[in-house]
Amino acid sequence: MTGISRRGFVQLSAAASLAASGPALAAPYQPLNPIEKGAKLQLLRWTGFINTDDAVWKKNTEAFTRATGVPVQIQELTWTDVQPKSALAAQIGSGPDIIMGWYDDPFIYPEKLVDVSDVCEHLGKTQGGWYPVAQTYGYDQNLKRWIAVPIGAPGAAVVYRESWIKQAGFDAIPKDYDNFLKLCRALKKTGHPIGLALGHAVGDANTWCYSLLWGFGGQPVDAENKVAINSKATHAALAYAKALYETMIPGTSSWLDPSNNQSFLAGKISLTINGISIWFVAKQQFPKIFPDTHNADLPIGPVGTPTVYNLFSQAFIFRYCRYPNAAKEYLRFMNEAAQVGPWVTAMTGYVTPALKGYAKLPVWTESPDITPYRDVLAGTHFDGWAGRPGRQAATALNNFVIVDMFADACVNGTSPQAAAATAEKRLKAIYG
Amino acid sequence: MNAGRIRLRQTLAFWGPLGLMLAFLLLPFYWMVLTAVKSRQELLNTPNPWWSFHPTFQHIVRLLTGTEYGRWFLNTLFVSTGATLLSVTCAFLAAFAITRLRFRGARVLSTMIFLCYIVPPTILFIPLASVLIDLGWFNHLWALIPIYGTFLIPFSTWLLIGFLRSIPRELEEAARVDGASWLRIMVRIILPLSVPGLISAIIFCFTLSWNEYLYALVYMFSSQNKTVSVGLITELVRGDVFQWGQLMAGALLGTLPVVLVYFFFVEYYVAGMSGALKE
Amino acid sequence: MGRWFDAPNRLGPLLVAPTVLILGGLLAWPLVLGVWLSLTDASLGTAGAFVGLANYAALLRDPVFLGAAFYALFYTTCAEVLKVALGLALALLLNRRFRFYRITRAVMLLPWVAPTVLSALAWEWLLDPQFSAISWLLVHLGLIHGYINFLGETWLARASLIVVNVWRGLPYFTIGYLAGLQAVPRELLEAASIDGAGPVTIFRRIVWPLLLPVTTILVSFSAIWTVTDFQLIWTMTRGGPLNATQVFTTLAYQRAITGGNLGQGAAIAAFVIPLMVVFAAFALRATREHA
Repeated sequence: MTGISRRGFVQLSAAASLAASGPALAAPYQPLNPIEKGAKLQLLRWTGFINTDDAVWKKNTEAFTRATGVPVQIQELTWTDVQPKSALAAQIGSGPDIIMGWYDDPFIYPEKLVDVSDVCEHLGKTQGGWYPVAQTYGYDQNLKRWIAVPIGAPGAAVVYRESWIKQAGFDAIPKDYDNFLKLCRALKKTGHPIGLALGHAVGDANTWCYSLLWGFGGQPVDAENKVAINSKATHAALAYAKALYETMIPGTSSWLDPSNNQSFLAGKISLTINGISIWFVAKQQFPKIFPDTHNADLPIGPVGTPTVYNLFSQAFIFRYCRYPNAAKEYLRFMNEAAQVGPWVTAMTGYVTPALKGYAKLPVWTESPDITPYRDVLAGTHFDGWAGRPGRQAATALNNFVIVDMFADACVNGTSPQAAAATAEKRLKAIYG
Repeated sequence: MNAGRIRLRQTLAFWGPLGLMLAFLLLPFYWMVLTAVKSRQELLNTPNPWWSFHPTFQHIVRLLTGTEYGRWFLNTLFVSTGATLLSVTCAFLAAFAITRLRFRGARVLSTMIFLCYIVPPTILFIPLASVLIDLGWFNHLWALIPIYGTFLIPFSTWLLIGFLRSIPRELEEAARVDGASWLRIMVRIILPLSVPGLISAIIFCFTLSWNEYLYALVYMFSSQNKTVSVGLITELVRGDVFQWGQLMAGALLGTLPVVLVYFFFVEYYVAGMSGALKE
Repeated sequence: MGRWFDAPNRLGPLLVAPTVLILGGLLAWPLVLGVWLSLTDASLGTAGAFVGLANYAALLRDPVFLGAAFYALFYTTCAEVLKVALGLALALLLNRRFRFYRITRAVMLLPWVAPTVLSALAWEWLLDPQFSAISWLLVHLGLIHGYINFLGETWLARASLIVVNVWRGLPYFTIGYLAGLQAVPRELLEAASIDGAGPVTIFRRIVWPLLLPVTTILVSFSAIWTVTDFQLIWTMTRGGPLNATQVFTTLAYQRAITGGNLGQGAAIAAFVIPLMVVFAAFALRATREHA
């Protein structure tokens, strides 16, 4: 509890519980830190993957403005265009006050960001704590402070057509890699192949490649940020991926993020790994296949624990922001139960919140197809694991080193050893 | 009989290759139209992708009512018109000075202006951003007008230099003898004669500014400052779900005005380019 | 006062001042800053220290960069050759008055007019491995058995992007050639025709030599755009599969913006400059000789 006295904390909790009981309550609003006079904010966030997201976020923001009198202007950009904006903002020291970014973004320019430790510690205390992976994406170990408020993960799960799984002789998605491969082979045989992206798809390609790599115990770098990709575990993961690739629909080497959604909804593939957007769009617009569409946990690899790699978003405040207290208050407000509940519920759990307490939200059990997304953040890693987040990890991710390694083995037919060796070279150029 | 066959052969020899080329050039537009009127279900499941069996106008309606398309359109119109006027004016003044006045350093200057044309925006946009910040131009829609000038002026100047060179000197020499000032010569004699060249430059500038994406994306951050391309991409690509129908409808609606302009001016455009090349 | 202004050495600089101001302030100065960046180890948010040519040296040992340089040149060369051939052919076809010629000329310009980001999306959908209407047609005509993976195989993806680039740039060449053809004196053609020269001879001996300067201009301008093409490739493949379609600009963007390594990104972009100077020199010579 840095910088907050015990009394301050009591007041905080009171404020939090007030906020939690809804903005309609006319009690005087108690901010974490005194909000600057005349404060106004600009937020840059990604366009919601699901259309119900933005509307609720906006409503929550309006509630914040009613409670505090601080107007917030929201700008939305498609998610892959946020990064150039935040890059520019960091470089020139001007732009939106708050940005909701992705992956290691804040660790590329940690010194440019406002310390949000008080907000994160407060939220962690009141909402059941942060998932360790969320902490990695928000807490800078070098600076010993939080540089970003973790928001959550558009989680990854297996999306499949139940009737085709049954037709292939399986009752459910197997929990282990061997049987999962058997299922995929059977699906291919019955004419309903699976599909996983191998192009430069920021979300989908990274998701399954990293999950598989970790599932076998492979890691790009060790805890000392030393390159460790060229290992037996990696070779095993690549060999498995090659076998899996044999069962896929042709053409996944060019797939970008929308490809698997479209192929699935068109009935061209039986199974893929994705966020809940496929299920959600099916529910809204594809009544014929919706009853047959289900979601399940990713299988667990030889390491024995879940290794789901997810997209991850966190919000950070730039130092050029003239109203840092107002900005911090906004992020606290938006992450309180009163706001997160309706937000996550409206988008049927598309974003899995970074705070453990929100696993209790009723939305997760509303449908057995939403439940798999509840625990995607438990016991998993960030992209640069087992190393530290930072510029190198961001570069390795954004240069698609791991995805390219898998594509090299699967598409080009390169041997696992050779593909891993190439990746090792590329990683060494990045990590030095 | 024979003459008829020859005629048929000629027609085929002409329309055959032309038809193929036009099919290649227009295919994506046909595709855009189809996509714009297909429902999501039909887009993904169809017995024949080359046709729409249940056309719908829902995407177009939703584009016009559910997004700020009108606003984006007006923004684009404002920026494109402004950038075109500014660039063509600057280019005309510069071209006149370089070809007619022959002042000291004119030749070097024309080479320098031309070299400016080769600088790619992707390398410029970060350093340019800090310049814009220093100037206080960030996130002002009008700031795009001079920014677009950086890639419009060099080409326009080059085009107009070529065009102005093709205008004979006798007229202005006579006017000089009569005591007319250079400015008067520029406005009264050269300007009217340069109209075809100016139209070429205008069309060129308008097209490029209408389609610009990177600068408009990066330097504007308020939603009310979006242009058509930026607005469509940033709001209709929802993560891994593309709103194909609305995207394509927006692309078509955004192309239409420029095509209309071309329909009326394409001949001048060719004539203007031709003048610049002729001499 | 008016007299004073009328001297070419005073009025001239005055008239070019707006151009010089805009280009100097918004282009030349940022360019200097950019080149300076390429000599530092700057990353996003830090100023960086001077490292001399280290970034350039590192790039020359980087196989991804060398691959990008190769494809950028390959992409440009193929696209330019195709655009010259097809553009000239189309211009020859259109260089006459026929029924619908006005509307044909206007419609032909569409690819050049449509916003690149969006037409690239339309192409992406046309070339999709699962939903491609082109593959569908070929399958139904019995020409192929499975859908073509246009953007997923190294050489197919490279070729597909070239086709799309040609598609977009073709109208520009056609218009340029139409203008060039109109500048060919009719008397010359008629005289040759009277002398008994066939259309092929007339084209080879008279028209093509007259079109050479136009060709140089068109190619050098278009090559400048093609080498620095970004939107089309970024939208359709993001440099994939496996960096097969990476070019200077996409790689620079990837390294500088998404990876945060500004110095290296700037160095990649700066590698383009000598190339551009070569193209520009050609264009300049063509215009000079011409004028």
